[in-house]
Amino acid sequence: MHKTAQYSKAAPRQRTLDQDLRSDKEEISPNQKPEDSIHRRDFIKRTGLAFAGVAAASTFLPSVRRGMAAGTNPTEITFSSAKFFGKETIAEVVDAYNSSQNKIHVTYKELPPPSSSTEVHQGLVQQLARRNGDPDVFTQDIIWIAEFAAAKWALPLDEHFNAEVMKEYFPGVVQACTWQGKLTALPWFIDSGMLYYRKDLLDELGAKAPETWGELIDSAKKLISAGKAKFGFLWQAKQAEVLVCDLVSFVGSNGGSILGPDGKTVSIADDAAVEAVQLMHDLIKKDQITPEDVLSWDEEPSRGPFTGGEAAYLRNWSYVWKISQDKANSSVVDKVGVVPLPHFPNKKSAACLGGYQYGVNASSKNKEAAIEFVRWMSSPETQLRFATQIGLCPTRSAVLDDPKIAQEQPFMQQLKPVFIGAIGRPVTPKYPQVTLVLQSEVSRALTSGNVKAALQTAKDKIQAIVKT
Amino acid sequence: MAIAKVQSHETTLKPRKIPFNLWRPGPLVLLLPALASIGAVSIYPVLLGLWLSFRDTTLSSPTDTFIGLGNYFQLFSDSQFWNAWIHTIQFTTASTLLETLLGLMIALVLSERFRGRGIVRAAMLVPWAIPTVVTSKMFGWLFDGQNGVINYLLRSLGLIQHNVDWYGSPDFALGTIIIADVWKTTPFMALLLLAGLQTIPDSLAEASVIDGASAWQHFWHIRLPLLTPTLLIASMFRALDAFRIFDLVYVLTGGGPADSTEVLSTFTYKHLFSALQFGYGSALSTVMFITEIVIAVAFGVFLLRKMREIGQ
Repeated sequence: MHKTAQYSKAAPRQRTLDQDLRSDKEEISPNQKPEDSIHRRDFIKRTGLAFAGVAAASTFLPSVRRGMAAGTNPTEITFSSAKFFGKETIAEVVDAYNSSQNKIHVTYKELPPPSSSTEVHQGLVQQLARRNGDPDVFTQDIIWIAEFAAAKWALPLDEHFNAEVMKEYFPGVVQACTWQGKLTALPWFIDSGMLYYRKDLLDELGAKAPETWGELIDSAKKLISAGKAKFGFLWQAKQAEVLVCDLVSFVGSNGGSILGPDGKTVSIADDAAVEAVQLMHDLIKKDQITPEDVLSWDEEPSRGPFTGGEAAYLRNWSYVWKISQDKANSSVVDKVGVVPLPHFPNKKSAACLGGYQYGVNASSKNKEAAIEFVRWMSSPETQLRFATQIGLCPTRSAVLDDPKIAQEQPFMQQLKPVFIGAIGRPVTPKYPQVTLVLQSEVSRALTSGNVKAALQTAKDKIQAIVKT
Repeated sequence: MAIAKVQSHETTLKPRKIPFNLWRPGPLVLLLPALASIGAVSIYPVLLGLWLSFRDTTLSSPTDTFIGLGNYFQLFSDSQFWNAWIHTIQFTTASTLLETLLGLMIALVLSERFRGRGIVRAAMLVPWAIPTVVTSKMFGWLFDGQNGVINYLLRSLGLIQHNVDWYGSPDFALGTIIIADVWKTTPFMALLLLAGLQTIPDSLAEASVIDGASAWQHFWHIRLPLLTPTLLIASMFRALDAFRIFDLVYVLTGGGPADSTEVLSTFTYKHLFSALQFGYGSALSTVMFITEIVIAVAFGVFLLRKMREIGQ
């Protein structure tokens, strides 16, 4: 009964369409009821309408919302950043900014955490490549700064932040924020590679923390042969970005480099670099203070044995400190020290610089507001807040000296000498391609032992990439 | 004119062809949504990928020029591409063969009647139901160079003196990944082949028993020939799938050490998504696409021939 009612309702509406389809109708097989087909057509029609409705609604709604926002007073800007959290989230910091004043309202768009670096990069590039001014402000890994600047996505900030102001930041970071003489990023936080060592084991040897690779190798060998440590020195050689970070600190500690400051001269096959990569290889194969397993290890696998008490030395980022002092996860609480990574004789220690920095979208429609916002985000007060609440090391050296940090994050202040010596990875807009070559060829050098040939191949390939 | 045509169709009752009529576009209009959605999600992306592969374009740089077959020339002279290509073929061949053989054995066992067969059939599917990323992590631990169970077992059995560094050694890494894949996907093959075995009528088995055929003869002359189409279809599925291997490699080794586990998918991913080289990356995926078509056609032709043989 119900069914017939439905059909009779649908029938008149169907008539015109039905006439159109007359020739089609002849094909309906005899045992199929005509009502069926009408019903189905009606269904298609209705779904079609529904789809059209949804589509229309979704195109109109955002503009309606935007219109409403424009009606209110504050300037609307958007802020896109990888996800960091601690006692607070970035969203809460942004909210604090919104409630601190009423001229600018920032909408925070969260990207994946920095461990999914490739996805964060992709997300940002896709947004920026549209050049529609969204997001107005973003945060970028230190290795993308040249790429974003060369693509003219990042607004040069020199006129808003002069050289005098920039002196308040660590020089290495400011240099990394500069592309072809122009400041295109504003420092947020800093991280770098460093050497963790076992204070207790070195005390037993009567040795102090090593300053040169020779000292490190000697003490590590002694500790292994005495059965005090299973592994001497752990680092990371998985064919991944972290291998390039380790490479930078080894090569830099011999005064070498991967790319010259002009971004065109390739120096990875120079003697200093070859000697450094040879050392990486020898640590595994000749001195045997590093297990072969590092060839497939990135940060976490290498961290495990160290905090488990099996290794004397570890190269890693600042995050390891917190884990090493956590009784639930570490058997080396209070036994760990941190120093800058060792260097070759008469050379300087070099740590690989990391961290995320702010950028302003060059296509932003509200540049003034965007710059106001990054000024606040990079201010001493906000940097202090990030340090104490989320554990992100300030890029302003004065903030690092703040007594509040001494109280809440005492470890951070030990890092000052590490950060001062930190150097960046090769600066080139083609970095994503350069790093792939480095990962593959350095991995080859370490597994095959044919260091010189692998680095020469790397040089040839990188030259072909950066020359254009 | 138009009316006359329709009338003539009505009289013949079986219109072979409905000529397109601007005033009566009914049937075609109804086909449009389906056509549009297939076009949008399948045809357009493929064509766009093809178009991009003829261009020198990187998302982060302003250059975007037509370079014809330039990307393909670069590709064919790129030793890393060939390296990845060989690994992909090795992986596809080894994993498909092993999975087909093991899957066939499991299917034969599971098609017999025994107590608890239902439970075993369900349990067999567990590896296949586990997400690949989880499988990867699991095999990462099993084959861990320091604390892995595999090293422990091999050492206890006296087969090795020192721990083997499975993922850190260019000699073992790809083999280890193949083992992980075989563990994971054999159940899928077993399931398909089991379904194939069940379509073979019991009467044939009975007849062969009455005629005095041995178990082997029964398998070799009756079951295997009748199972061939299923075998071919199942291995085609598997080969096409194995050719796209990505997650195991991505999670376990990232292509290393020294590119020894780099396969086409990870290689393409690195160029397309890490370096955002849309032109070169698209050329890579086009080459993969074409290779997949070749594999599919080869299996298809072989399958048709077999079917015809059986039909005769």
